Amino acid sequence: MVRANTPEQDLFERGILARLSGVDAGYKTATVLFGIEFEARTGEVALITGPAAAGKTTFMHLLRLALQPRSGRCVILGTEVGKASARARANVKKRIGYVAENPTFIENWTAFDNIAMPLRLAGQKPRDYADDVRELVEFVGLTDAADLTVEKLSGAERHRAAIARALAAKPALILADDPTAGMSPGDGRRIVRLLAEMRRVGAGVIIASQDETLADCAPLNHWRMERGRLSPISQKASEEVEAFE
Amino acid sequence: MRNALTGVERAMFWTLAFAAFAAAAAGLAARGVDRVAASYEAARSNYAIVRVLAPEGPAGIAAAEVALAQAIQVTSAAPMTAGRAAALLGGEVRAEDMPALRLIEVELTAAPAHVDVSGDLVAALAQGGVTAEVLEAPDDSSGAGLATRVRNAAFWGAIAFALVMGIIVSLAARGLAARRREMVTVMCDLGATQGETAGRIADEAAVMGLYAGLIGGVLAGVAGFAVLMLAIPGVNLDALIGMILPVDLTPIAAAPLGAAIAAGAGARAAASYFHAQAARLG
Repeated sequence: MVRANTPEQDLFERGILARLSGVDAGYKTATVLFGIEFEARTGEVALITGPAAAGKTTFMHLLRLALQPRSGRCVILGTEVGKASARARANVKKRIGYVAENPTFIENWTAFDNIAMPLRLAGQKPRDYADDVRELVEFVGLTDAADLTVEKLSGAERHRAAIARALAAKPALILADDPTAGMSPGDGRRIVRLLAEMRRVGAGVIIASQDETLADCAPLNHWRMERGRLSPISQKASEEVEAFE
Repeated sequence: MRNALTGVERAMFWTLAFAAFAAAAAGLAARGVDRVAASYEAARSNYAIVRVLAPEGPAGIAAAEVALAQAIQVTSAAPMTAGRAAALLGGEVRAEDMPALRLIEVELTAAPAHVDVSGDLVAALAQGGVTAEVLEAPDDSSGAGLATRVRNAAFWGAIAFALVMGIIVSLAARGLAARRREMVTVMCDLGATQGETAGRIADEAAVMGLYAGLIGGVLAGVAGFAVLMLAIPGVNLDALIGMILPVDLTPIAAAPLGAAIAAGAGARAAASYFHAQAARLG
């Protein structure tokens, strides 16, 4: 007997990785995001720009399931997160690669071991993932620092390591919160291009940044966040999406 | 920095080992008290005094000795001498001032509670033509039973002490989980469930508890052995080993297991809490 897909799973099968409609979110008594309407698809890159304290990081927390929506519908990777069980939320989180503004690592582990962490959590043995991780390390340009403990890495190297870790488990959705912070403009653009490359393997990429100039370093959908409200600036042509309901 | 972290964990390990040592030592002490109390109780309850009423004089004592020698409950019987009686009275009466005694000290075999040993002895003596009364040690209902109370107090005292040590181990293991907080945060960010995350930290703490408990238990065993060597005059190694029953080693065996369980539980609880904090911002 074949079990019918839920409407949320149908959305995912149609390549819609995230769809938020009328979502409010915030912390304790403070509401930070208001009436968010947003959609991200497979193979697309979205750039969210805006000034400091506009709500970009809160938006990323919402997408990575660290915040519950207060109202509206928030469907991430085929799961309505407001109604999902803890296990279902954890399963969604495993398919999201997240690069935090200040990435957290196990400081006394090497960059290599930190990058391999999602694969270890997935139950893979070192001999199975060593080559993949080496490849990732090369991809993000961290070859020389891979065997150093993370506490010895520079800010830019930490961001590269965080990106490599986010990509390790081949996530369906990659979230990067201000990944170019503290980098030179050249390095920042390289990082964004690196992330944008991931759309070629079918992942969706969402990048939050204060830097408006990143919008022209890769073909992407550009959104602007201001005072907790999100609005599209330039949208790459995309296929028609059926009605949410 | 790395050495400092290792140092903290080393201190934590020895805290666990010390707590396990204390719990195991208390358990061994309780076993010691139990063994002494049990042997005291056995000696007390397997002893009786026969007072010969008739025939009077040495003939009555001799007839009673013969009759007692044939009684199945009796392992040995000896008339009480004036010197022995004076010693039992603590020197209050001198031996030469002691009147003629008609008492026989009897050591008995251990008998089930339902057997009326006194009655059987009186009957055996009557068959030998002796009229006598048998004085046994008072039982629990007549105000004795101190040994039983001491044994209970030792057992439950050791259990309570072990529980307190378990709480200490559990709290120390929460400290280990706090040291692993960054790992908990990373695992949470990478989508590990609360159970997976807490399980990993708990496993690490349980292994640490197991080894610490092993060391604490073995040290308690060595200390207990040394105390016995010093406390029992003239005992040698072989004799001491022969005195130890398998059940006496229970506290040593329980120390690693208890420390592992307590450490694992403490670390699991703390890691679950940290995971819950990391998982929800709003």
